[in-house]
Amino acid sequence: MNKHIFLATSVALTTMGTVVLADEIRVLNWQGYGTDQDWAIAAFTEATGHTVVHEYFNSEQEMLTKLRTNPGAYDVVLINAAFTPQAQAEGLIGPVDSSLVANFSDVSENMATNQDLNAGGALHGVPWTWGLTSFAVNTNEFSEMPTSIEVFWDPAHEGKVSIRDDALEAVQFAAIATGQNINDIQDLDAIEAKLAALMPQIKTYWGSENDWNQFMAAGDLDVATFWSGSASRSMASGLPVQFVVPDEGAIGWLDGLSIPETSTKKEAAHAFINWMIDPEFYVKWAESGAPASANAKAAAALPDDAFNKRVLGDPAVVARVQFQRPVSDENREKYLELWQGLKAAQ
Amino acid sequence: MKGTYLAWVGKAWLGLILFFLYAPIIVMAFMSFNASQYYQLPFEFSLTWYEKLGQNTEILNAATRSVLIALTTTVIATTLGTAASLALFRFEFRGKRFLQVMLFPPIAIPWLITGTAMLIFFYGVGLGRGTPSVLIGHVALALPYVIVVVSARLATFDVTLEEAARSMGADSWTVTRRVTLPWIASGIIAGALFAFAVSFDQFVVSYFLSEPGDSTLPVLIYTSIRKGFTPEINAISTIIIVISMAVMLFAARFSNFGGER
Amino acid sequence: MSTVLARQDRLKIASLLSPAYIWLTVAIFLPLSAMLYFSFLSDVPFGDAEWRYTTDNYQAFFQTSTYATLLWKSIKLGLTVTAVSVLVGFPCAYVLAKVIKGKSREALFLLVILPFWSNSLVRIFSWAIVLRGNGVLDLGLNAILPFEVDVNLMFSTPAIVIGLVHSYLPYVILTSYLALQAIDDSLIDAARSMGANKLTILWRLILPLSLPGLLAGAVLIFVPVVGSFMEPRILGGRVGTYFGTVIEDQFVAVFNWPLGAALSFILLAVVLLILATASPVLRRAQA
Repeated sequence: MNKHIFLATSVALTTMGTVVLADEIRVLNWQGYGTDQDWAIAAFTEATGHTVVHEYFNSEQEMLTKLRTNPGAYDVVLINAAFTPQAQAEGLIGPVDSSLVANFSDVSENMATNQDLNAGGALHGVPWTWGLTSFAVNTNEFSEMPTSIEVFWDPAHEGKVSIRDDALEAVQFAAIATGQNINDIQDLDAIEAKLAALMPQIKTYWGSENDWNQFMAAGDLDVATFWSGSASRSMASGLPVQFVVPDEGAIGWLDGLSIPETSTKKEAAHAFINWMIDPEFYVKWAESGAPASANAKAAAALPDDAFNKRVLGDPAVVARVQFQRPVSDENREKYLELWQGLKAAQ
Repeated sequence: MKGTYLAWVGKAWLGLILFFLYAPIIVMAFMSFNASQYYQLPFEFSLTWYEKLGQNTEILNAATRSVLIALTTTVIATTLGTAASLALFRFEFRGKRFLQVMLFPPIAIPWLITGTAMLIFFYGVGLGRGTPSVLIGHVALALPYVIVVVSARLATFDVTLEEAARSMGADSWTVTRRVTLPWIASGIIAGALFAFAVSFDQFVVSYFLSEPGDSTLPVLIYTSIRKGFTPEINAISTIIIVISMAVMLFAARFSNFGGER
Repeated sequence: MSTVLARQDRLKIASLLSPAYIWLTVAIFLPLSAMLYFSFLSDVPFGDAEWRYTTDNYQAFFQTSTYATLLWKSIKLGLTVTAVSVLVGFPCAYVLAKVIKGKSREALFLLVILPFWSNSLVRIFSWAIVLRGNGVLDLGLNAILPFEVDVNLMFSTPAIVIGLVHSYLPYVILTSYLALQAIDDSLIDAARSMGANKLTILWRLILPLSLPGLLAGAVLIFVPVVGSFMEPRILGGRVGTYFGTVIEDQFVAVFNWPLGAALSFILLAVVLLILATASPVLRRAQA
């Protein structure tokens, strides 16, 4: 049924006078993050004739670097809303024409009007998914789930802890642990001290979801920071892990799909974004583990026991979330210096 | 020293080192036959990863691209390098010493620096990233190795042979073709093998210069290690080492490097 | 050969040399010059970014102790790996060149250099499987030993050293082997017949004669190890932050190319300085 809507949309697009030729579009995203699901690409190609090629990044900075150094190379890019204003200000991404994205009308109102995604006064990123950066534990090592972030500093787990090698995430994580506002950090010294105390606990840093899964599978880790969508994937693949949103709170993020200014295949890019926010795509993706959808219709279509409905649908949890806002260059440099200094001291 | 106690200790040491050198390669091959995606033990035999590899066009394309780039690099670098070595060997001229010293920066400067410098430069002149840039970079990295190896072989060449041929009326091209080149053939083959290895295993420079969707095998492997490493990588690596072994044995029949002089 | 060149000879030299050297200039020397230029800019001159000339990037190195600490850590790693490789590899090369004879030598020699043809990243990753807790080494040792041992070398400095020695050991074996092979056996026999004992022969004859090869191998190892970033990242975990990883970050993650370039040139200068300090030794060895 939904497939038909999707097909109809693409047919409508073609007949509206915008001739959709079979293009190869290049998508820049995290690996294994929805857009590169084989079945989804196959369905998209079948419906529109466009083929999809992927390239991956490991950090938002790397993503921005790739956009800057490869003009014209990408057609769709996933950008965390906290970075959308920067990408827009640098002229890396162009406005998205919501009239070409039929499913846009189903996107939750508060996300569609998110000020960061609407940087520069126009829609520059279509809200796609949202989720939390918190942590997950190895259930074999815990008889009862921890409720406090202090578990990272618990001597019982010394040498069995991991956080991601990312200055911003490390600092914001410590901000939560020290009870500060992640978007307005007042006491950076407290954060440095908190992270310095964490360092001896750490086994290794993780860089990617795959790293994380391998370390957990090898029993190297008891507790590690993680993303909610990735946690649901790891749980779906059978790893003994459980996602925790501690009493202190968690970092929230909203991911949008944007179109680089230099893209030469904007029609195909719009069609791809439309398919990506389609409820049919989302429900199937969620079976194998996905973050929460920004599409209200898609979110409602989930079964009641789905991870995203169970955990992220809990108002008590949502109340503890601090959503990420853009970070100034000055602060970013300070955080980077702090994090590099701590790593170098090891 | 033959047959003495010390010789035995020496041989045992060599054996131990060979074990050290091959242990991870054996583990790599072993894991390509293990069923677990996360490299978990105990071992459970499976051919799944080879089957998956057969369908993984991304890895296969990258492997093919790597082989093609390495072959092209080998041909260009060996030709240019041999020519340069001949000139450096045959003639005395001002600046020769300088030219010889110039060969060392590409070897001595960490590839990380060379690679990023190339990225900046090629981007600045408008060539950008892509296979041509990768190829230009690989040849430049392989050239010094070829020149050094071929020159080393030329150093053992008896100049009187050339003079004798010339006195019998052969022109210089004939002398080169019939006397010099056959003598240094083993050096050229060794140089070519070096060039191939430098290019085929080169990931730092390729990492910075290859275009999205057009990566070489080492780049694909590097990004997989950070982003999603599956035993398919072990499978393709195992296939490559087996092919390399065959090629080396084949090449060894034509050159006696390492054997009796 | 005469030093006065005929016109024809000059043409020949130019036609033989210029392709190789023009290639090197375009692909190595011009890029390095561009990089040097970049290291004095405040921002990358792409797009609309504003930039000016500055020495800030070099000053950054001295403003915090972070970079100096990491550089020193990288140099120590380079020295450790080089020393271990030489100590392990030289005896190996000696056995290969002087003890083993005939066809088996050729076969063993090929075996030593064959690992070059397998992907270095895959080898490093295999070490990860070997070294980690519950890994191959742990299970293997526990299968052999009668008592229980807990081996987990992964994410430690020894793991980095093991991985790097494994990657670069063949270089020193190769260069030492070539130098040792060039020593005439009759020289050794002569020394022995004059009553020199084994240690004297090694110390006074073999070592000096093979020193150029040994040092060449040491340089070929030291230089790349100081700039290494992939091996520490994969095998080092928490302790795997080095000067090379920081440079890589500047280029691929933080997008501060000018700082990355400045740090690269500081590394290059330090490496060249070390090589220059070592070069009198090198030259004496060749004399």
